[in-house]
Amino acid sequence: MSNLLRTLRQAMTIARRDFIATVFTPIFLLFLFAPVIMGSFGAIGGMGAASVADGRADKTRIVAIVPDANARTIAEADTRLRAVFRRDEEAPPGLTTLRPAGDPAAQARAAFASKDYEATAVLYGPLETPQVLYGPRGKRAADYLGLLAAETLAANRLNGDVPRVTAVKTALERQGGSAGNRRQSASFAVFGVFLLNLFLASQVVGTMAEERNNKVIEVLAAAVPLESVFLGKLLGMFGVAILFVGFWGTIIAKLGSLLPPDVASALAIQAAVGTPAFVVLFVTYFTMAYLLLGSAFLVVGAQASTPREIQMLALPISVLQMGMLALALAGTARPDGWIATVAQMFPLSSPFAMAGRAATSPDLWPHIAAIAWQLLWVTIFITLGARLFRRGVLQSGSAKPFWKRARG
Amino acid sequence: MTVNDPAVFAEHLVKRFGERRVVDGIDLIVPRGAIYGVLGPNGAGKTTTLRTLLGIIEPDEGRRSILGHFSPREASDRVGYLPEERGLYPSMKARDAIAFMGALRGLDRRTGRTRAAEMMEAAGLGHAIDEKIKKLSKGMAQLVQLLGSVVHRPDLLVLDEPFSGLDPVNQEKLEALILAERDRGATVLFSTHIMAHAERVCDRLAIIAGGKRRFEGTVDEARGTLPSRVRYLPARPQAGVAEVLPHDATPDGDGWRFQLPREGIEGLLVTLIERGYGIGGLSIERPGLHDAFVRIVGRDAAEGEPA
Ligand SMILES: Nc1ncnc2c1ncn2[C@@H]1O[C@H](COP(=O)(O)OP(=O)(O)O)[C@@H](O)[C@H]1O
Ligand SMILES: [Mg+2]
Repeated sequence: MSNLLRTLRQAMTIARRDFIATVFTPIFLLFLFAPVIMGSFGAIGGMGAASVADGRADKTRIVAIVPDANARTIAEADTRLRAVFRRDEEAPPGLTTLRPAGDPAAQARAAFASKDYEATAVLYGPLETPQVLYGPRGKRAADYLGLLAAETLAANRLNGDVPRVTAVKTALERQGGSAGNRRQSASFAVFGVFLLNLFLASQVVGTMAEERNNKVIEVLAAAVPLESVFLGKLLGMFGVAILFVGFWGTIIAKLGSLLPPDVASALAIQAAVGTPAFVVLFVTYFTMAYLLLGSAFLVVGAQASTPREIQMLALPISVLQMGMLALALAGTARPDGWIATVAQMFPLSSPFAMAGRAATSPDLWPHIAAIAWQLLWVTIFITLGARLFRRGVLQSGSAKPFWKRARG
Repeated sequence: MTVNDPAVFAEHLVKRFGERRVVDGIDLIVPRGAIYGVLGPNGAGKTTTLRTLLGIIEPDEGRRSILGHFSPREASDRVGYLPEERGLYPSMKARDAIAFMGALRGLDRRTGRTRAAEMMEAAGLGHAIDEKIKKLSKGMAQLVQLLGSVVHRPDLLVLDEPFSGLDPVNQEKLEALILAERDRGATVLFSTHIMAHAERVCDRLAIIAGGKRRFEGTVDEARGTLPSRVRYLPARPQAGVAEVLPHDATPDGDGWRFQLPREGIEGLLVTLIERGYGIGGLSIERPGLHDAFVRIVGRDAAEGEPA
């Protein structure tokens, strides 16, 4: 068997073990459903906020003090106009009409003190020259009342015969998305890559610690070159990532097809390089970031001999990783700035930054260069990692980590 | 190289840790099909030697070949290894652990699982086939790991202190397994600091101490480095018998003890009978491997480093 094939076969054996050992644990279920858990926390918070808002929304009103003759017309106008508001929170509060009594100005003021509702704006006086009083956050409601007055007046002049026009509506795809949308996609991309990585890389270190603890590492190292062990561990966790992304990708795709098309398109990722290319690049950069950070974590895992030591050493790496994320995010905020360039060049931040760039800039050639560049670093990291690993783990059963050994 | 090459060949192997030469110029030739013991006190460098031979660590000097390959990795699918520090994944089932070890050495998983079950049955571990490793006793886990190191039917089996950690019953099972592997055609190379096992199963052995090889040969040859001892009991004890006996004779109860003279004992017996002392009792004791070992490495060294 050729060496490459053998290396791959061995790596796959190790990958399979790690995959199974990770996936068939209760912890993994927690991880798999973490988005749901986080989402439901968010939803509970959101529901709380919404119910507070609802409580108020139920009682808030806009008030029109109009004679009975106009009350029905203004209510109809309200129904017509209200239809253009997409969501409830955008729509003005419900309309209440009052019969004029005595001094309309005093009556209007009194409406704000009513116990039955909470007025945000009150209209009184003749429809041609209406007066509108409004309270805090009632400016938009006041504008709306003005619009209602005009609409009612027009309906009166036309004797209620308001022309019904049904426009032929055709949705037009916007090419490439707006700049704001792109930046949002960019941050989303960067952040997604980052979060998954954080979990996976630390998981890799976890399996490593396990092997050192229960001494399986010697069995592996005797049968398989350390490069294969490394590669296998990275692949195994990558399998976990694919499972995770596949699971949620399917769910989101299914949910997406259930959503109304306009909502779906508002949520859709809009990337400068085009959606198919973006998906490919996203996956590639995700892989690269994972391989780079994973091998960095592996090196750490190889040096430490207790879970405590691993935690201690993993902290600086996590901080470094945060730094990389910050750098990449800073880069996407100003895609043409020098920070962006630095973030794209520096090996550890490059995948994050380039994923962001795919969202904001349409050129494809920099990605080819970046992927080659990152691959180079992946190779360097894995080779170096395997070497450090050998020094750290395998000199003997009682091996000390290199920094301790140096001192005796 | 050809099939007639030795299973393991090492020439002037050196491995340093810092300034210390833990393996200090070791030569080794393990013929194919042999059971070969590497004997030495604790800290002699046995484990380091085996790891260097297997390519787990690289030697600083010297060369070695495994089954005809100068790079041990090339032979890895035909080698089985039981490390001194045993280790299996605690949450794996026994048969999966065996199959996994086979898979690392290129055996397909299905075959591995089938063989694992057969081998466990044969070794009297049938009840534990689907048990998780963490549920097994230490000795049982060790046997499982041992089966894992032979499941791919290696041509060379390397065992580092295989007997330690086993009770006498399982030690016997292990001896049987080593012999069975040899009969299957495999070469077995194992290390131990307990002579009794080596004495029973080894075809050849090397004794190392302080990283150096002190002896190489068969068990008989090792024992032959020490003269046999004679215990003689006169039939009619009388003063003056000491003048007839060799100079090193020391009284021992009613009789005497001395080394078997190089020229043999026949002449001495004739003299003893002629002079009238007679033969009341006579035994010639061959020294055990342990005695030879102590003599070869020195009494202090034989104690070894504190483990
Ligand atoms: N990585 C290492 N660094 C320093 N010393 C080591 C290392 N590995 C082994 N040693 C030392 O080398 C000596 C021989 O060890 P070893 O080969 O395990 O002996 P044995 O297996 O014969 O008991 C011991 O003194 C041990 O402490
Ligand atoms: Mg040892």
